[in-house]
Amino acid sequence: MRGISLIYRREIGQYFASPIAYLIAFAFLLLTALVFNNDLTVSLGEKPADPSIIPQFLAFGMVFFAPLLTMRMLAEENREGTLELLLTAPVREGDIVLGKFFSAWTYYTILLLATLLYQRLLPDTASTDLGHLIASYMGIWLYGGATLAVGLMFSSMTENQIIAAFLSLSVLLLMYLGDLAGEIVSSVDLANLIRKMTLQGHFSTSFAFGFMRLEDVAFFAGIMTVTLFITIRIVESHRWRG
Amino acid sequence: MIDVKNLTKRYGTHLALDDISFKVKEGEILGLLGPNGAGKTTTMRILTGFMPPTSGTATIGEFDIQQESMQVRELVGYMPERVPTYPDMTVEGFITFWAKMRGVKKPIAKVEAILERVQLIDRRKSLIRNLSKGMRQRLGLAQALVHDPRVVILDEPTIGIDPQQVIEVRDTVRDLARDHTVIFSTHILSEAEQVCDRVVILNHGQILAEGTPDKLRQQLQRGAQHLFVQIEGSPNGTEALLNSVTGVQSVEPLGLGFTVRAKPGVDVRAHIAKRIAKEGRTLLELRPVAMTLEDIFLDVVGKDDGR
Repeated sequence: MRGISLIYRREIGQYFASPIAYLIAFAFLLLTALVFNNDLTVSLGEKPADPSIIPQFLAFGMVFFAPLLTMRMLAEENREGTLELLLTAPVREGDIVLGKFFSAWTYYTILLLATLLYQRLLPDTASTDLGHLIASYMGIWLYGGATLAVGLMFSSMTENQIIAAFLSLSVLLLMYLGDLAGEIVSSVDLANLIRKMTLQGHFSTSFAFGFMRLEDVAFFAGIMTVTLFITIRIVESHRWRG
Repeated sequence: MIDVKNLTKRYGTHLALDDISFKVKEGEILGLLGPNGAGKTTTMRILTGFMPPTSGTATIGEFDIQQESMQVRELVGYMPERVPTYPDMTVEGFITFWAKMRGVKKPIAKVEAILERVQLIDRRKSLIRNLSKGMRQRLGLAQALVHDPRVVILDEPTIGIDPQQVIEVRDTVRDLARDHTVIFSTHILSEAEQVCDRVVILNHGQILAEGTPDKLRQQLQRGAQHLFVQIEGSPNGTEALLNSVTGVQSVEPLGLGFTVRAKPGVDVRAHIAKRIAKEGRTLLELRPVAMTLEDIFLDVVGKDDGR
């Protein structure tokens, strides 16, 4: 636990000290604000504002933001040689990986919570559907955690941040757009199966409409567990690869 | 304090360490000496718990490096060859982080003390990216020492820094021996001679020789005399003259004179003096030359490569 919390605190400190993290935060907030504003303009006098508009945008946005937020984390340790020091310090590999993952997730959570401020701009008469809002934010929070775990996994595989970002972006894009493959297969069962394996399939028709289903929660938790486990093994493998 | 037994490390088919064993006593400075690729870094990485050996064991203090890796890691301070840093952290933040990682209870005072010791206290708020190479080296040293480890392992700590800083680092290392056990690797022989109590010479993953620098010198000279001889007048013909003296093995010109290597166990001084007098020449200088580790090293490594 001591190891996790030390790594976590150092990484959080890195986020708040790094100009790149502020640029990412700027882009994140600017884009979500534009999406919110656009939805507001379209809805004006027609329908209530969509409380899940920002989570829906982030379902796509995280394909880009997650690699940017995580590409540095293990690739840099690897390149600078600090991984060798971490692996000779009295902490476990799991502490290193989890500390980093939780710090990325925390940073993302802070950005996500900041977008909730937009809801406060709505007039009281807009009567936001609170259940819909909470479910969609819960969904995108888990969704984001899963994408960050994927990003962290690719960061552990290389010492080049750009390659790490490119690989995780490609894989996340595939996981996002994968359900398009469902449109070109004739078998409905197969199309359903493909959709069940994509990020979209566990968000756009459930959380985005305000439903919280256990299977979707399990899907994102599952992705996090599996990718973090692989990441720990990869970090461990540095001992063997020398 | 450190007991290495039959350590072997294989990378695929490449044998990096071949059955090496040595011991280090408490408070001793052991020099690991050898050319690049000799197995120095591999030995150190195994001792620090970074990688497991293919076979063999080692204990540090009372702990086995594989079975009780966590305890070993708490005992050891390690500075890898390429000093690893986080460029975006401050000097103070970096050392505090490692102090906490290594379980220091009250880090603030410790960090201050160690930064004082490596003379980085006035740069404590600087970002690491702005430090010079020598300062980074000292930062690496501070990182390895901040938790007051009983064993300090330093991988080529004097590489790539200017001569003044080299002297400082060597002084710091010698200073450490009072309350730490130190393993120190280098490929500079004079450095090992100056700093270390004992030297292990490695080449191709094997121990070629082991002992105090003095003992190594004696052992490898095998009692053979090395003399410096200078004769008045033109040196022409002197080489042939010295070569013809009984008991002389080889003669090489050196400056204004010659170095003479005698056959083992023969005292050739009297023979040389008599012979020169007989030829009617004047002997200006005749003195024994101490073989440096440099010579010994070339001797040993050369022989090994010739096998």
